[in-house]
Amino acid sequence: MDTTVTLLAGSSRRLVAELRDALDSCAERQRQLERSLRVSRRLLRAWEPAETLAPEPTPGPETNEEAPSAACIPSPQDLKELELLTQALEKAVRVRKGISNAGEGNKAPSLKSGSIATSPATRASAPPSTSHRAGSRASETKPPRGIRQTRVPTKDLPERRLLSVGDQACMGQGAGATKPKSGLRNEQIVLSAASQAPEAFTLKDKGILLQLPEAFRKAASRNSRLWAQLSSTQTSDSVDAATTAKTQFLQKMQTTSGWPGPRLSATEVEAEVRHLQTACLLLRLRMGEELTADPKDWMQEYRCLLTLEELQAIVGQCLHGLRELCTVVEQQLGPWPEGRFPRASLPCGGGADPIWSPQLLLYSSTQELQTLAALRLRVAMLHQQIHLEKVLMAELLPLVCKQEPLGPPWLALCRAVHSLLCEGGQRFLTILREDKPAD
Amino acid sequence: MGRRRRRRRVDPADATRALPEAIAALSQTLPAGPSPETFRRAKFDRPEAAPALWRLLFRVLSPQLADGASASFSPEAQVRSVKLALRTQGYPRRALAQLPDDGSQGGRELLLALAWLLARGPLPERLLTQNRVQLGDEMPVCECEALASPGPPTPSVEADGCVDIRHLQWLMGKLRFRWRNLMASQQEQCALLGKIHSYTRGCHSDRSLGHLSVTETELLRDPEGGRQLLRRLERENARLQAALEWRRRELVFWWWMDTVLGACPPEASQPTFLPRIPTPGTGALEPLVQELQALQGELREAVEARRAAWEAGGSSGVVPAGFRSHHVAFWTCWWTCVSPNPTWAPPSSLHELDRASTGFVAVNSGPRALH
Repeated sequence: MDTTVTLLAGSSRRLVAELRDALDSCAERQRQLERSLRVSRRLLRAWEPAETLAPEPTPGPETNEEAPSAACIPSPQDLKELELLTQALEKAVRVRKGISNAGEGNKAPSLKSGSIATSPATRASAPPSTSHRAGSRASETKPPRGIRQTRVPTKDLPERRLLSVGDQACMGQGAGATKPKSGLRNEQIVLSAASQAPEAFTLKDKGILLQLPEAFRKAASRNSRLWAQLSSTQTSDSVDAATTAKTQFLQKMQTTSGWPGPRLSATEVEAEVRHLQTACLLLRLRMGEELTADPKDWMQEYRCLLTLEELQAIVGQCLHGLRELCTVVEQQLGPWPEGRFPRASLPCGGGADPIWSPQLLLYSSTQELQTLAALRLRVAMLHQQIHLEKVLMAELLPLVCKQEPLGPPWLALCRAVHSLLCEGGQRFLTILREDKPAD
Repeated sequence: MGRRRRRRRVDPADATRALPEAIAALSQTLPAGPSPETFRRAKFDRPEAAPALWRLLFRVLSPQLADGASASFSPEAQVRSVKLALRTQGYPRRALAQLPDDGSQGGRELLLALAWLLARGPLPERLLTQNRVQLGDEMPVCECEALASPGPPTPSVEADGCVDIRHLQWLMGKLRFRWRNLMASQQEQCALLGKIHSYTRGCHSDRSLGHLSVTETELLRDPEGGRQLLRRLERENARLQAALEWRRRELVFWWWMDTVLGACPPEASQPTFLPRIPTPGTGALEPLVQELQALQGELREAVEARRAAWEAGGSSGVVPAGFRSHHVAFWTCWWTCVSPNPTWAPPSSLHELDRASTGFVAVNSGPRALH
């Protein structure tokens, strides 16, 4: 029994194209989300220690702007010391990462020696493939040697001191005295707080200590100021004069071109059609509201009637306009094989404004944000679904009428169409055929 | 003449100074803007001005391309793309379409095309908005367009064409799966965002925002990336500044463009054959016609039923005199507020075609008699 239902080439092409478009736009959106997720996840993990030392020491109070680093600049001898200590620290970081990489999987000490034994092999291979987990820039040759020297850096007191100095300088905790001696006092706290990865910076623990660099702040405030200026509507004389000049220029362009040109450009046709589609949507929604409303008194009933009559008149006008548009399109641009069409969407605030500065959205809990985002996404998906169902209806329903009823191919087609259109592709009907009992 | 004190007569000396400054502002605010000298050469239709202007028009008409991507288009491809885009938007002059594809000629015509685009809408502002540097965490106001980007039409999919309906069911299932994935990813992203915001609370000293955004936190984590962001920001600031300058000075540019237009030889009026541009044909309008007709039918039924019920009611009482007109006035107000384009009237061409029907315009402007 042959139950495969093959569609005609034209329908197939259109339907498959629509579905693939939908799949592609979902994939694109997924890619965007993945990108943001990668960034966010990386931010919430421990940050690379080398990078936390890099941002410029931010000034505390504004008055210290002129000489922010004056308080933090150590003497030349200290500088040398700092350099040596930085190197030692970096080595220690790599060592630690090496240990944690090696130690995480293998708890037994015997396996640790095993990892040391295998490290000469890794030394030979050039690409830093083993550092993927830590993401550190450790070279392959360091860990094996470093493992044996493990004990030394951790016990090095000046190194701790450096850490606290660096910490304070970068986190803007103290603008004033960052002398090495004062660091010793904090040493104990640092030691106890950070157990096996003291250099790691996590947003959770120290996020509130961050400060944006000065240059960036200035640029950002200038940016918002300029955008505000640009979006404010100016009604000075010069703007009016410019508008007049522009209109005159356009008219001259039109008249000096010896060609009457299309009265409606393709973009304008598309825009008109989009307007009409949106109008249709709105009118249908309004009609639905009126029909479901329950009038309580005669005045409401009468209002309802008048509203429906108005809607009817408006729909009539829209149809009239659309038919004129069809005529215009046919006359000027000729019949054209149908392409895909822009979909109607409800008018969204701020869509027409070319300069729209983002407005602030405040939320009070993560739940709220998630609900909001989920609802928005659901709306977009529903739009997509509605469009697809319209296309499917247009292509598949005629087929159902055409095929001879009650034959097996027709049943298969009905089942498929039902599942696609009525169940959104989620559920399938089961069709049982009752054979006449043989007597 | 001297009624408004602020308006002063501009003498030619002022104009000659102001013009290069205006053009400099314009080219600074547009991407890939050429020098004022190029503009001057274009007025006299010098060939060396043409390539720069073709490139500029290409960047302006396809802003969705990244900065480097336009280099991957050959000059001929750029020229063809510009011609197509201008025709689609309804550019009135034929001379542009007749320019050679190698991009070696046509400075003056391109200058006119640029001016035409500038006159029709706030082009620099629109370009700046599209490529805006995002510093905060943004969520689009309207997600309707999020999954609705058809992009370039897909090339013909399967050569054999005929497809089993089960393939469609399979594709639909795949789509549902992708929707679920999207939902899950979106939820995760929101949760992470919430965390980052709460961990950086109190860091943003400047604004009333109170916490850092992902971009800003990322800039702190990755100084090199932060430096790049800063450079982009500064470039955008320069372009914004130039856009404001342009707004102040553009009048003198329009006076100059009048002279450029005057310098063009008048176009002959015989129509030339132009290649067809892809337009939505009437076949594509058919579904919309059917939708509207269906809606009309439903409304007609509803109205007839209700009117019959109303008239049969009898005990409804007297309708106050101003009720109907008041209601209709209220109605047109609703339509004006809610319709897709509140000032929407069909373009003058449509209006000309049917002078008798003042339908569209009347809906927006006042009450109509229904009978």
